[in-house]
Amino acid sequence: MEATIEVAGLRKRYGRTVALDGMSFTVTPGRVTGFVGPNGAGKSTTMRTIVGLDAPDAGHALVGGRVYRSLRRPLTHVGALLDAAALSPGRTGRNHLLWLAHSQGLPGHRVDEVLDEVGLSSAARRRAGGYSLGMRQRLGIAAALLGDPPVLLLDEPFNGLDPEGIVWIRGLLRTLAADGRTVLVSSHLMSELEDTAEHLVVVGRGRVVTDAGVAELVAAASDGRVTLRTAARAEAMSVLARAGATVATGARDTVTVTGLPADRVVALLTEHTVPFAEVAAHRASLSEAYMELTRDAVEFRPGEAR
Amino acid sequence: MREFGYLLRAEWTKFRTLRGQLVAATAAAVLVVLLGAVFAAGNHSSCSEGPKEVACPTPPLGPGGEAVADTFYFVHRTLSGDGTVTARLTSLTGVITYPPPNHDTIVPRVEGLARAGLMVKAGARPGASYAALAMTGTHGVRLAWDFTHEVAGAPGRVSGAAPRWLRLVRAGDTLTGYESVDGHRWTRVGVAHPAALPRSVQVGLFVSSPGDVTVEQGSLGGSIEQLRFTQATGVFDRVSVAGTAAGGDWRRDYVGGHAATDWEKYHRPPGLVASGDRLTISGSGEIAPSTDGFHLEGVLSGLYVGLIVLIVVAVLAVTAEYRRGVIATTLVAGPRRGTVLAAKAVVVGAVGFVAGLVATAVTVPVGVHVLRGNGIYVLPVPLGTELRVVVGTAAVVGLVSVLALALGAVFRRGPVAVIAAVAVTVLPVLLATASFVPEGLSRWLLRITPAAGFAVQQSIPVYPNAVGHHSPVDGYYPLPPWAGFAVLCGFAGLALALAGYLLRRRDA
Amino acid sequence: MRRALHAEWTKLATARGTAWLIFGIVAATAALTAAVDATVRCTALGCDQDPTRLSLTGVQLGQAVVAGLAILAAGGEFGTGMIRTTLLAVPRRTTVLAAKATVVAGLTAAAGTVAVLASLLVARLVLPTAGFTAAHGHPLPSLTAGGTVRAAGGAVLYLVLVALIALATATLVRDSAVATGAVLALLYVPPVAVFLVSDPDWQTWLWRFSPMDTGLAILSTTHLADLPLTGWAGLAVTAGWAVALLLPAAALLAHRDP
Repeated sequence: MEATIEVAGLRKRYGRTVALDGMSFTVTPGRVTGFVGPNGAGKSTTMRTIVGLDAPDAGHALVGGRVYRSLRRPLTHVGALLDAAALSPGRTGRNHLLWLAHSQGLPGHRVDEVLDEVGLSSAARRRAGGYSLGMRQRLGIAAALLGDPPVLLLDEPFNGLDPEGIVWIRGLLRTLAADGRTVLVSSHLMSELEDTAEHLVVVGRGRVVTDAGVAELVAAASDGRVTLRTAARAEAMSVLARAGATVATGARDTVTVTGLPADRVVALLTEHTVPFAEVAAHRASLSEAYMELTRDAVEFRPGEAR
Repeated sequence: MREFGYLLRAEWTKFRTLRGQLVAATAAAVLVVLLGAVFAAGNHSSCSEGPKEVACPTPPLGPGGEAVADTFYFVHRTLSGDGTVTARLTSLTGVITYPPPNHDTIVPRVEGLARAGLMVKAGARPGASYAALAMTGTHGVRLAWDFTHEVAGAPGRVSGAAPRWLRLVRAGDTLTGYESVDGHRWTRVGVAHPAALPRSVQVGLFVSSPGDVTVEQGSLGGSIEQLRFTQATGVFDRVSVAGTAAGGDWRRDYVGGHAATDWEKYHRPPGLVASGDRLTISGSGEIAPSTDGFHLEGVLSGLYVGLIVLIVVAVLAVTAEYRRGVIATTLVAGPRRGTVLAAKAVVVGAVGFVAGLVATAVTVPVGVHVLRGNGIYVLPVPLGTELRVVVGTAAVVGLVSVLALALGAVFRRGPVAVIAAVAVTVLPVLLATASFVPEGLSRWLLRITPAAGFAVQQSIPVYPNAVGHHSPVDGYYPLPPWAGFAVLCGFAGLALALAGYLLRRRDA
Repeated sequence: MRRALHAEWTKLATARGTAWLIFGIVAATAALTAAVDATVRCTALGCDQDPTRLSLTGVQLGQAVVAGLAILAAGGEFGTGMIRTTLLAVPRRTTVLAAKATVVAGLTAAAGTVAVLASLLVARLVLPTAGFTAAHGHPLPSLTAGGTVRAAGGAVLYLVLVALIALATATLVRDSAVATGAVLALLYVPPVAVFLVSDPDWQTWLWRFSPMDTGLAILSTTHLADLPLTGWAGLAVTAGWAVALLLPAAALLAHRDP
């Protein structure tokens, strides 16, 4: 099975509220795809639609080319973490996984394996009602991993995790992708996906705003400025201006250069034997890139009803 | 199919890993047993003769093992082998003593199921096998045998101007009844097959007249039945017995006779007055299965408590998932929602059935044993009937659980589903038995609501020849056991279908 | 207390389904009365039915919805986390319960009055077809007759007591479905059990403890001497149940970590 997720033209309204407005994207295996957008952008509804919980008014969502509801032993095809708080408080964490395992014809020892994998073995026989938010999140991830599925959908997996937990889950996501799995991770905070996601689907108001690689996005957000620190400021400026760059004086002994890449700046200064202490290419962070995008396209106005 | 097996196992794991649900299901069974035991232990009966305590008299048993009432005036002689008895009935009259509304006059009126006619009986002992062809007070000619069987002949009443000829022909174990208005043209009424007629039988004329029933509303709701003594008098002539019969005088027996009532003492004693060819016979009593005694399903008094507990368990099996959001996980693991619902229904239904079976299988035999030890007469029933009560009631509990589960899936809110489930199962029983609701509606309630299923509990059937008021209050259901059970099955299936439809249509 | 009352009222008024439940109380009461009264047959010779009691039979079904209202709208938050929010806003816990009880009793009294009047109206329309006519000597129940007023008022009072019993039960068991089952069992099982007991002394004894049997005795206007308790004494028994459940509920709410 080619384990892609294909979402095409999903539309859904709840009364007068439009939740999905032509949502379309494809998620491919082997990398972590971030699914980002502000609250209410339609991330959860899209994920619920992919696993057949919500029925779209139009469009379709396929996993490996098939509608989720047609899958046999679905958790061996797709693992999903949707709402970590959705637990029976009276049942132990292990028993929660046990009934899930039984529903897929999986043996009981598989439960202990995933409990170990998420580091919950010691708490497994306690009632889930007493779990902290982070423990519930780990239990939810264990449930998603239970069927060893080629496709994983994780809705806000970072919620409630302590810093150590966030580091753990980033590593886990990268490992899962490196195994060749399709991993779709939603978040409303871009910073959480930094260094983890290679590809991003940015959504707003029920539709895709940008669907691009992280490098591409960062490059687009970076404006190619180079900051130069040199004692010979005037000399440097004249050399670079002659090469076609726009130069401006910055604070103290710095010069801001636009229109030339950093390696070209270094080459020119070396050629003209102008001394310099540092050349820094300005590279936008993923968060800045995201802010850039959302400022342009995603303006989400709370309480808005159309 | 394998997928269904997985989901079934998952639902069972879900059920058994919530301690509260297991405890509640067990408690439901224990409650039924305990309430039944307390109830049985609290019921006593004793009889005394003067200062001395004696065993209470028990009714005779008929050939089928059922308790019977067998009281009538019998004028008979012995017949060996095959033969025929014929007589003409020219009058059937009666009195009802002290009837309502004011209880102060004696009314000349023949009771509807009073009988005067011919009888062939294994002996004069109450409960002995028999066949009887008789004119009744208002129900025309009836051929009855062995207490529980009866076929109807021509309707009408008798008088001097319109007499009725009756003929009963014995050929081995088969008795054929005939009737005629003129003694020439005979019509066959039917064929009777008494179970245990020896070669030599008692054959002759008989008169019976059961108590007159009136029903009043009980002060706490329900109804109160009152019986008044009646007596019937039949006038026969042209009596003949063909075959190897003993000659001489008729023998007279007040079969199952009781102490004389004031009416019998001071006005007309029961018995035979012969005047030439004319035989006038007066008698009282009833020849029918007896319903005087404890019905064994009565020990299941705690059933409704257990049932409400199991309704809550079944409703929570689905509404708790909605409340906690677990339903999403369930439907992601089993996206075929109809199959998920079916798996849930099987688990919840099985839990209800097993809890119900433990409850009934313990309560019925233990309760009956305790009651008998306390001197209470529990009406005997065939083993098959007792099994039907035990297993059928458990099945009803299972089906009500399935119904409650389906209502939970339809309403998705626990209290609403519990109210709905109780309102369609327990409330109809309450309205039909313990309230001031008119009896017509009571019968309808137990026909067209899921409560009809409780009919499987009824251990004593209503026989066509039984006199009395067979109301829901006394444990008589308007539908036969399996028909009532089918109604409940239908409701459970319908609710499940609706739940499945909504589950598929709604977003989880 | 006034602010707590206001808060509870706002919660009840904005809870999902309150309006449906109020409609349900009226509809269930009137519908059952209509069904029962349509099946009575009385002849000129008389019948043994009490027309007032018949006109209010629907209360037996309406009370289940009243219990639902009390449990869902007022007691529901004991099972969710929302009681914590409530107790942050009003830390005096007995005040919270008192406010809930007042609000739910008030709303039930209002809905119950409408339901009882609707039930009487339905009965006046249906009963004449069953032979209840003045010509037959069975005048229809009318609010100008003292017995009917007493029965109608008593029915409303009974429904209020059922609401309080349900609220107390919901506070005690903290799960709305379980509370519903417990209340319905308390109301519906003893009346059936009374008829499963053959001994008349036991019957009367059980009857005197059954909150529904005693509470609904006030609906009777005929054969009053046959009842083990008078109507008001019967309602006092039901009120006793409400108090017996509210006191431990208040104590438990005060001492339990929500």
